[in-house]
Amino acid sequence: MPINHDHKTANALEIQGVGRRFGGFWAVKDVSLSVRPGERRAVLGPNGAGKTTLFNVLTGDLAASAGTIRMDGADVTQTPMHKRIKGGLRRTYQHAHLFDGLTVRETLFLAVSSVAGGWQRFMPLKPSDGAIGKAESLAQMSGLCSDLGREVANLSHGQRRQLEIGMALAENPKMLLLDEPAAGLSPSERPRLAELLLSLPKDITIVLIEHDMDIALRTSDSVSVLHNGRLLAEGSPENIMSNEAVHDVYMGGAHGH
Amino acid sequence: MKSALFLLPFALVPFFANDFWLVQIFGRALILGIIALSLTFLAAYLGVVSFAQATMAGVAGYTVAYFGPNTVDVGREMPFFVVLPLAMIMATLSGAIIGLIARRSQGIYAIMITLAIGVAFFYFTRQNYNYFNGWTGFSGIRAPEIAGTSLREPLPFYLLIILVSALCLLFVNGFIKSPLGLTIQAVRDAPKRVLAIGIPTTPVIVSAYAFAGFIAGSGGILNVWYQERISSFSVGLGPIVDILVIAVIGGLKNPIGAFIGALAFVLLDTFAVDFIDRERFNTLIGLVLLAIIMGAPDGLHGLAKSWLSRFKKRPSENQV
Ligand SMILES: Nc1ncnc2c1ncn2[C@@H]1O[C@H](COP(=O)(O)OP(=O)(O)O)[C@@H](O)[C@H]1O
Ligand SMILES: [Mg+2]
Repeated sequence: MPINHDHKTANALEIQGVGRRFGGFWAVKDVSLSVRPGERRAVLGPNGAGKTTLFNVLTGDLAASAGTIRMDGADVTQTPMHKRIKGGLRRTYQHAHLFDGLTVRETLFLAVSSVAGGWQRFMPLKPSDGAIGKAESLAQMSGLCSDLGREVANLSHGQRRQLEIGMALAENPKMLLLDEPAAGLSPSERPRLAELLLSLPKDITIVLIEHDMDIALRTSDSVSVLHNGRLLAEGSPENIMSNEAVHDVYMGGAHGH
Repeated sequence: MKSALFLLPFALVPFFANDFWLVQIFGRALILGIIALSLTFLAAYLGVVSFAQATMAGVAGYTVAYFGPNTVDVGREMPFFVVLPLAMIMATLSGAIIGLIARRSQGIYAIMITLAIGVAFFYFTRQNYNYFNGWTGFSGIRAPEIAGTSLREPLPFYLLIILVSALCLLFVNGFIKSPLGLTIQAVRDAPKRVLAIGIPTTPVIVSAYAFAGFIAGSGGILNVWYQERISSFSVGLGPIVDILVIAVIGGLKNPIGAFIGALAFVLLDTFAVDFIDRERFNTLIGLVLLAIIMGAPDGLHGLAKSWLSRFKKRPSENQV
């Protein structure tokens, strides 16, 4: 892959004219935005606006149909997903998408050793393995330390969301893409999630899709609003809250799609 | 560790069984069990049903036949300590190649592609005389003599079979707890998520098939010593289906199922002739298979497990 390092525009994320088409339908169309290193960016928009599709294109889950994606100045538009992950990108999925047959410890172990190296080993795992220790501290961070030995299939919905985040935090991510991490959490679990997000190291760049306005606005410096696959508005949380177009989309014709 | 204890009853067989029971029943069951184990491994941990396991075993068998003592004019004899590792390497390699071809296929497509590979290999062995001696294949294959002990003697041969069976079970159970083994199970559960934590899935799938080839190869070597011959029919549709039937009857969820299924299969295969015509055996095994699929989808192993848990009190739930 060609790495074109451009020092003037070394934004954590810089995308230009990005689009994704399903058949004749552009789920994401001509989106350009840039996110500074360490910035906390919320992505808002009604259901079907193209938020998840945008994430899929950013991570490489889906190929972009148009545009270019740069991370830390390097063009990663054609880079396969696992290499983008090695470069420090992590994501969570809106619909938790986990290894149901493994335990929490094994899942977090894989999240660590996939980036740090060592997943290829075929000798039985020792409890003293360094990556196991890291997995256990990830469990601690995501509030799962009493569930380390449980099979993922037996976790509650909230715990699955916590595990998603724990996996994404493995091995010092540079940029986190969180897709509705609060979805399906009970009102009592939400503040804890907000705390967790606020407690993350400040040098991690976070892009957060969130319907819970309280969490989204509390944890972010800036907001981008998507509508019908296009970027509708961008600005500080205060700006966005008072933006009329945004209000129209959320209050008025939000059910258009 | 615990699961190898399951083979303990097999280890006691020499104390009361005659040579017929020792080799033709228990020995043969364990050999078929090892080959079926390679299928059960792929089914349980990669989530793929492979029809190419008799093929991988056959690759090891043909290697032993070609480079070992035989009574046909094909091949080149080499010492057994060269031939055995070579046979294992060839079987493992065949597994890796089949995995590379089938890597994107799941469910019915994996079945079709592995079946196609198996059938292609069958026709290839029939038509190739330089390496496979066509449809007649190899006969007069003899197990070697190691340190003064002939492996053609029933007891040493049986002890070798049970040792290899136990090792294969231990390998499988150790491997699935290794980082690579865990990754294989992760690919079974959510392949896209494996990419999303930074692991390319192709090497994972290929190594699962290669490991299955290694296991099938160990069974294939023992099988060619047991049969003392190998031909295209040893890798044809019959053995391919037998291995699948054994794995399904035993249960695809647990490695032990392969051995339970193999013992049931060999007992039926050997003694059903006493009650029904030879030609009706396929009907009988078909009915047994149907009954298992309808009544006990997790096979005899699953059936035994649920019976056992009914006898026990409530199983403790706080095992972590
Ligand atoms: N794989 C797909 N194939 C076809 N259409 C899709 C696919 N994924 C998403 N879409 C469509 O793209 C639009 C945007 O979806 P999505 O990105 O999930 O929206 P959001 O996350 O903002 O709710 C929707 O209309 C959805 O139906
Ligand atoms: Mg979405």
